Amino acid sequence: MSALQASGRGGAALETAGAWLLALVWILPLGYALWAAIHPSAYSAHFVLDAPLTVENFVRAWNAAPFARYFLNTFILVTMILAAQLVLCTLAAYAFARFSFAGRDLAFILVLLQLMIMPDVLIVENYRTMSALGIVDTIPAIGLPYMASAFGIFLLRQTFKSVPRELDEAARVEGAGPLAVLLKVYVPLAKPVYIAYGLVSVSYHWNNFLWPLIVTNSVNTRPLTVGLQIFASTDQGIDWSVITAATLMTSAPLLLAFLLFQRQFVQSFMRAGIR
Amino acid sequence: MGHPTMKWLVSLVGAALLALTSVAAAKDVTLSFYYPVAVGGPIPKIIDGYVADFEKDNPGIAIKAIYAGTYQDTLVKALTALKSGEPPDIAVLLSTDMFTLIDEDAIAPFDDLLRTDDDKAWLKSFYPAFMENSQTGGKTWGIPFQRSTIVMYWNKDAFKAAGLDPDKAPDTWDELVADGKKLVQRDASGNVSRWAVEIPSTSFTYWLFQGLTTANNVRLMNSAGTQTAFDAPGVVGALQFWVDLSSKDKIQPPGVIEWGTTPKDFFEKKTAIMWTSTGNLTNVRKNASFPFGVAMLPAHQGRGSPTGGGNFYFFKKMSDDERAAAFKFVKWMTSPERAADWGIQTGYVAVRPDAWDTAAMKTYIADFPAAAVARDQLKYAVAELSTHDNQRVTKALNDGIQAALAGAKTPQQAMQDAQAEAVRVLRPYQ
Repeated sequence: MSALQASGRGGAALETAGAWLLALVWILPLGYALWAAIHPSAYSAHFVLDAPLTVENFVRAWNAAPFARYFLNTFILVTMILAAQLVLCTLAAYAFARFSFAGRDLAFILVLLQLMIMPDVLIVENYRTMSALGIVDTIPAIGLPYMASAFGIFLLRQTFKSVPRELDEAARVEGAGPLAVLLKVYVPLAKPVYIAYGLVSVSYHWNNFLWPLIVTNSVNTRPLTVGLQIFASTDQGIDWSVITAATLMTSAPLLLAFLLFQRQFVQSFMRAGIR
Repeated sequence: MGHPTMKWLVSLVGAALLALTSVAAAKDVTLSFYYPVAVGGPIPKIIDGYVADFEKDNPGIAIKAIYAGTYQDTLVKALTALKSGEPPDIAVLLSTDMFTLIDEDAIAPFDDLLRTDDDKAWLKSFYPAFMENSQTGGKTWGIPFQRSTIVMYWNKDAFKAAGLDPDKAPDTWDELVADGKKLVQRDASGNVSRWAVEIPSTSFTYWLFQGLTTANNVRLMNSAGTQTAFDAPGVVGALQFWVDLSSKDKIQPPGVIEWGTTPKDFFEKKTAIMWTSTGNLTNVRKNASFPFGVAMLPAHQGRGSPTGGGNFYFFKKMSDDERAAAFKFVKWMTSPERAADWGIQTGYVAVRPDAWDTAAMKTYIADFPAAAVARDQLKYAVAELSTHDNQRVTKALNDGIQAALAGAKTPQQAMQDAQAEAVRVLRPYQ
């Protein structure tokens, strides 16, 4: 009995130690970024406590590109993509989950197929499409290829399928039409999935680089990542101080949002089954 | 018609019409211009400033300067746009991308634009070393713009501490090894606290390797870009020397050395000597806390360094008017004053001799003589490795060099394998 208790306690201690270790590994790059960003570049590899603090790296980073405009563009971009994805994916997932129509399985297989293709492969074809539509160098052109998200459709379809039929039927007995059932039954029940998906989508498009770089040309349309690339001065070696300052600056809104809504995010991930 | 008001009205209308046509003429030709950023500093601001000045001097031509990421990103963006039927008009891309761009049928040569004697003289005004990577098959495909070479930076304090003359860098391979053995610093337990030399071997592996092969009097490829000589005895010998610096002489850190962090090692006094691009001059000047020197790469059988960096290219789809305007722009961007200013602001080597005679450049050199070393080394410079299907051929060589440095293959074996792969890749172009 006491041996069992001891081993249980030992297991818990091991688990705690493991969690701390993982947390440390996770926070270390962020911690280094913070260190390098707030000290002069001479101290970016010297860890002495009395190193002078400075905001000069942030000032330099901010002045190297029109970041205010880039923030606005990125914000518009991720909002637009997320809004379109939520509408399109909800409707498509609902159709796949709860309606039977000719060719449904084939259509769903085609959607799944899209999951297997790296978006980078389609860059030339997508560019051609945008150029045919006459919208190269606009924010919608960056977002358009991502709006019908296969991942979103798949995720929501699985969630909708797990909703008990009885709830659906009860609503119909009360006289609700298909759209009302969707809005009143399915969407509220899938809220954790929506939050989890929203987080994944926003962080992906916040970080996306190659496609926005290629399809845009002007300051008025380009997102943050394109501005950030300016610090990748490959001929010259790496200036960690200014890179870390710029990185912290551009990822700050995401980091803040995550810290503020951390509990909700973690819970919705648990419920949504993206584990 | 004699009525004064009428006259006034007519002249007003006439003036308005004139203004309208001149506005129309002011935006006659619009050119898109892709450029990469590969060094630190506010490069887009400098370029935008040049473009604004050019537009002021040349009403009728508008240049849309588009920052396009790194060199690699810029090439991807330009080729994507090309395949969608909307290529840029002008782009700055690596000089070594010349064969790739020709094979993609993307670019047009400059030769038919050179109509006057003045134009022909302009083409001859560049350093011949830079033109090696810009011409093939008797045609000129690129115009040098942001070009560089490799130089050797040394820490004068470290030289003094090792009992060496701080103002004299090793001038030959033998001196490098001899000085190096004095420069290596070991602590009590035998661990190295300061290495003598670092020749970086990532990112631009083949390029730094050319600093060794050129000194060994061998060329890696022919000017048609169809043949390589990776397994020539001189090439293997150069690689053996590089490997020996770490394994036999023990004056260079073992294994592969990161390109991106080599300057940091130099600033942190972890190495007394580093080889890197002239594009680092401004960076080193700003961050080195000790007196440093800049020297040509040490000689062996001969002397020399490869050139590097980016050229102007013209894409094919331009009309004759657009090409004439683009030509005007490139000529303006490479004028002696502009080339000098660009070199001073970025650390690139000004691409033509007369740029070094401008007042601005003379003032700069007087204050910072190290900047002239790259220029003086140009007479020994050779073309950077560039062939058809360049990326794959270069990768074969890079992999071979890194395998030898890591000790996985002997230099002889590594270079034979690299050559076999290059021959295979280049077979369609024979």
